[in-house]
Amino acid sequence: MNFAKLKKASTGYFFLAPFIIGFLVFGLYPVVNTLTLSFTDATLMSGKSHFIGLGNFQRLFADEVFMRAVRNTWLLWILNFLPQIGVALLLSVMFTNVRLKIKAVGVWRALFFLPNLLMPAAVAALFNALFAYYGPVNQLLVRAGFLSEAMRFLESVGVTRGLVIFIQWWTWFGQTIIIVMAGMTSIPIQLYEAAMVDGANGWQMFRRITLPLLRPILIYVFVTSLVGGMQMFDIPFLLTDGRGSPQSSIQTNNILMYMKFASSKGHIGAASSVGVLIFIMTSLCALGIFYFLRDRDNVEKKPAKKLTSVKNMEKAA
Amino acid sequence: MSSYRLSTYVLRVLSYLLLFFLLILIIVPIWILIVNSTRSTTEIQQGISLIPSSHLIENYRLLLSKGLNLPRGFGNSIFLAVASTAVTVYFSLLTAYGLVVYDFPGRKLFSNFIIVLVMIPMQLSIVGFYRFMSMLGLTDNYAALILPLIANAGAVFFGKQYLESMLIQDLIDAARIDGASELGIFHMIIMPLAVPGAATMGIFAFVTSWNNFFNAFIIITSIEKYTLPMLVQTLRGDVYRTEYGAIYLGLAATIVPIIIIYAIFSRYIVSGIAMGAVKE
Repeated sequence: MNFAKLKKASTGYFFLAPFIIGFLVFGLYPVVNTLTLSFTDATLMSGKSHFIGLGNFQRLFADEVFMRAVRNTWLLWILNFLPQIGVALLLSVMFTNVRLKIKAVGVWRALFFLPNLLMPAAVAALFNALFAYYGPVNQLLVRAGFLSEAMRFLESVGVTRGLVIFIQWWTWFGQTIIIVMAGMTSIPIQLYEAAMVDGANGWQMFRRITLPLLRPILIYVFVTSLVGGMQMFDIPFLLTDGRGSPQSSIQTNNILMYMKFASSKGHIGAASSVGVLIFIMTSLCALGIFYFLRDRDNVEKKPAKKLTSVKNMEKAA
Repeated sequence: MSSYRLSTYVLRVLSYLLLFFLLILIIVPIWILIVNSTRSTTEIQQGISLIPSSHLIENYRLLLSKGLNLPRGFGNSIFLAVASTAVTVYFSLLTAYGLVVYDFPGRKLFSNFIIVLVMIPMQLSIVGFYRFMSMLGLTDNYAALILPLIANAGAVFFGKQYLESMLIQDLIDAARIDGASELGIFHMIIMPLAVPGAATMGIFAFVTSWNNFFNAFIIITSIEKYTLPMLVQTLRGDVYRTEYGAIYLGLAATIVPIIIIYAIFSRYIVSGIAMGAVKE
């Protein structure tokens, strides 16, 4: 009996072995490597490097360029996340509302999700072409009389930032709708029936039933979007010159990291410290979100099976 | 009662207006891209049109004549995406199967650990990864982009959810009585049964690899190995400054295949997202 159990257990490990080995070699070791590098002045060009303690980090905190990249990344993320979650909540309510009876919900959802699958590099290059000096947007606005002459859109801080925010929103709101809707449809319908009997109106039901029960899903969307947003690279990189122009206004954390990595000497020590610092910042914020949005009272419970993933995630973090 | 009906009607009209507005925001840029890839540079400069023209072949010739090898980039992207998909699907199902079917100390811990792994950003590993790969001599090699997918936490998580939703324990017991080996059961019985889940997982793996710019940009250096997103990046260079038709065609070539895949498989894709399991 014990032998059989042991055999079964070892077979389990056998199935996990490729993943564990793959993770140790290609996942954990590079992370340890990055952490180690972040305490050195290593470059790609020279074989030698010295341990400089927290030198890289001190330099980053004193460096206005780094602080600007952090501010840029937060700005670009938060301003696309708010309309994203707003539109997702509104459309999810519309799609699940029995009074409105929207037709072909599946088709709408599928269409709104489409941009998410398109290559971000190509989308950024497309908007670069659309908003170029001789591009179609300028043509249209000049011809319609909105502009007296063509405008250099991609040299304006406001327009360029707005475009990054718009593209990010455009890419992600469809996905957020699908996730939020999955959460809403798993809320037991009886709760709404009971509320209606008690004379609640639509807004009250949304505020008192939907939002609280949606909390695990909202936390999930919030955290995954944050983790993704802090890594924003392709779109700001390819929308302008790859250095976050104009005036470094769309230079994000990752663009800065790449610039250090790809500089003529290849400052991989400094680039690593950017990665490490951003990771620490992201993790602290994610934990903060879990902490402040956690379930404070245990009355409301039992999201349906679909949501177990999110609950597991909360426990894990 | 009629005022209730009227307000419902008004709300419904407003809802559809909003939906069509959002739809236009999504379709117009993509449509202009596709249309402009069939128009000559002169036509594009004359103004916006929503009707395709007849200069597709001409734009294609122009694109190639400037030294951009679109067919090769396409082939590279397909090869990389197919290999990435195969590795992701096989190893993630294998791992998920081990987690779902066997009971062993540390199983629960491992499952939770995988969710933590999904959240770790690539910023934390990419520099160390690059240096490790250059130590191994794997820079400028597709292996560096494919092998890490053996441990694809997001796909394992999805596979685990999927296998848990299938009732497979009886099948496994029956196969054991018939004398099948444990790995044989996985290959002969579970994998064929898990095809729908594997398809969803595979589509995401394919699209992720197809669109992957950052990692490929770091690892791949020689131009013969460039994938489509890397070629897109070269399209912005001076060589193409005035060849608008060619630029749009180059971009359309990267986007249209994905739209076709999506048109065929959108049901799998949307349900995959709804499982809340797919990492971005």
